[in-house]
Amino acid sequence: MDVFYSALEQVFRPDVLLIILGSSIYGIVIGAIPGLTATMGTALLVPLTFFMDPVPAIGAIVSATTMAIFAGDIPGALLRIPGTPASAAYTDEAYKMRQKGLVELALGTNVICSMIGGLVGVLVLVLAAPQIAEFSLMFSSYEYFWLAVLGLSCAIMVSRGSAIKSALSLTIGLMLSMIGIDVVMGIKRFTFGDTELVGGISIIPTLIGMFAITEILRKIGELRELPPVPPVRVSRMMSGVGSAIWKYKGGVARSSILGTMIGALPGAGADIAAWVAYAVSKKFSKTPEKYGEGHIEGIISASSANNAALSGAYVPTLVFGIPGDTITAILIGVLLMKGITPGPMVFVMDAGLVNAIFMVFVLANVIMVPIGIGAVLMSRHVLGIPQAILFPIILLFCVIGAYAANNTLFDVWVMLVVGLVAYVLEENDFPLAPMILALILGPLIEENFMKSMIKADGHLIEFFSRPVSGTLGVVTLTIWALMIFMHLRHAKRKQAASLPT
Amino acid sequence: MKINDALFGIVFVLVASAILITVQSFPTLPDQPYGPATFPTIIATIMILGGIALCVSGYRERAHQPLIRLAAVMKTRDGLVRMACVPVFMILYILLSKPVGFPIVVPVLLAGFLVITTRKLLKSVIIAAVTTALLWLFFVDFLMVSLPLGILTKVIY
Repeated sequence: MDVFYSALEQVFRPDVLLIILGSSIYGIVIGAIPGLTATMGTALLVPLTFFMDPVPAIGAIVSATTMAIFAGDIPGALLRIPGTPASAAYTDEAYKMRQKGLVELALGTNVICSMIGGLVGVLVLVLAAPQIAEFSLMFSSYEYFWLAVLGLSCAIMVSRGSAIKSALSLTIGLMLSMIGIDVVMGIKRFTFGDTELVGGISIIPTLIGMFAITEILRKIGELRELPPVPPVRVSRMMSGVGSAIWKYKGGVARSSILGTMIGALPGAGADIAAWVAYAVSKKFSKTPEKYGEGHIEGIISASSANNAALSGAYVPTLVFGIPGDTITAILIGVLLMKGITPGPMVFVMDAGLVNAIFMVFVLANVIMVPIGIGAVLMSRHVLGIPQAILFPIILLFCVIGAYAANNTLFDVWVMLVVGLVAYVLEENDFPLAPMILALILGPLIEENFMKSMIKADGHLIEFFSRPVSGTLGVVTLTIWALMIFMHLRHAKRKQAASLPT
Repeated sequence: MKINDALFGIVFVLVASAILITVQSFPTLPDQPYGPATFPTIIATIMILGGIALCVSGYRERAHQPLIRLAAVMKTRDGLVRMACVPVFMILYILLSKPVGFPIVVPVLLAGFLVITTRKLLKSVIIAAVTTALLWLFFVDFLMVSLPLGILTKVIY
């Protein structure tokens, strides 16, 4: 009970509540503006979290991302342009509802289902995380090594497009993580004689470069003015929502649990959860023919799933220190900067912090309803911000953010180079999620790999000698075999298709 | 901007080869052949294998994949200029902010960028000035970040 009160004390402080409120409004704006993603919003928040204590820093990220994922639904329903990729799965459905004069019902359902999904995800997090953490206290370097490799393998598997490109993206992240002092003998590696690189590549400019500069480069070339926003009667937003959700309560429960599970899978985030939940919901629906015509059932399922995924991603993050998606990868970077290494020991040593994180999640999901309704009311103004003004200001913010953490212009160079390279890679279908996951997990993998190699004196069979490590190892190798098999089959099919008939 | 996979493959093979050469000089643990070179060697090997696979697929697809194809937006003058402004903005900030000072460089750079994106001079100048002032207040006065004053240091102190 003491732990609970200590968590309560850490969260319900005026400064923390103010930060959560401010971040929520920031998240709503980021999510509602097409082109600005939740990941980009998180990357831009990182320089500010540098100046905060751990609880408000986590609170800022959790509340901003929770709001951003919901807010992505607003332009989707009003303009048929998803605010974030997580809303893309049901944008057409929501827009069709607008054409039927039911836009308020669509948006009201979005906000309530987002809250329910988010809270189900938190419930799973609260119930499962401490249990898994207790179990994983007996893990040795072998288990941690396999767990991290399994996480990265999942990230490759769920990435869209070529597995080879995903794997190469991952190797770039691992290589970047090796810059600086090595974990075995403490010698300098890949620093090119530059003292700025001795401490490793700075995480803040790397994140901003990867997720914000790439986005600015992509959008600034073809600036577009958004179409006018139709009037929305906020008073009608809650009418009929309760009965619609009650009618499809099974779908809400299924999608929330499915979303949480997908979120917990490293590399798979809210967008994949929404697509899968939408497809599953259509498959199990009594009226699948209505999908695509402005049917509320698909919206209910998918918008529950994407917010649930956000909470689900925190299960592996908090328990093992393995990020469930790009947002939690950034969060781990923030925690590491604050001297906190996520993992089972946090549950033992700092239970107050863990409970505070749970509380922040509940709070963020609950305040999403009034803030979300307010955001719909303000949507005309938010969506009216010209992109021609917005992007140059965001760029300036990126530059100051990259500089501010260490007060060095070298970090602005890092952001520039990472941003340009990441832009070229992404334009050529190299996914960035494996890269950022590998950058964060690199030190963990190398440290546990080297510890295990030294303990085992190079006998690789030792990696499979313990029951849990053996199981994890076999699962990982099976995933690799599966990916190679799928790649070869895809190549064979492609070759057969290109042959003249 | 699309680049043929084979070109990416070559870059990956070259980078990985450079890593393999570099790690040759790293020491190993006493009595064990492992050390700081072990992990980079494994990753560089994966990189080489992936790079070779990309070279092969790029070569096979050469009929459909030209070496470099610019994105449609890069073929328009306005689009290209706006994109180029992003790195130029950052490079100018890096080079000028320390000697000249944040309060002078940033409004000029931001106004210049805004003129290019909005084509409205007065509006751009006003937005640039207000944004700089707000960011200065937020970062310097609130977060205590020391943004460079440049030539203004002598004037103020």
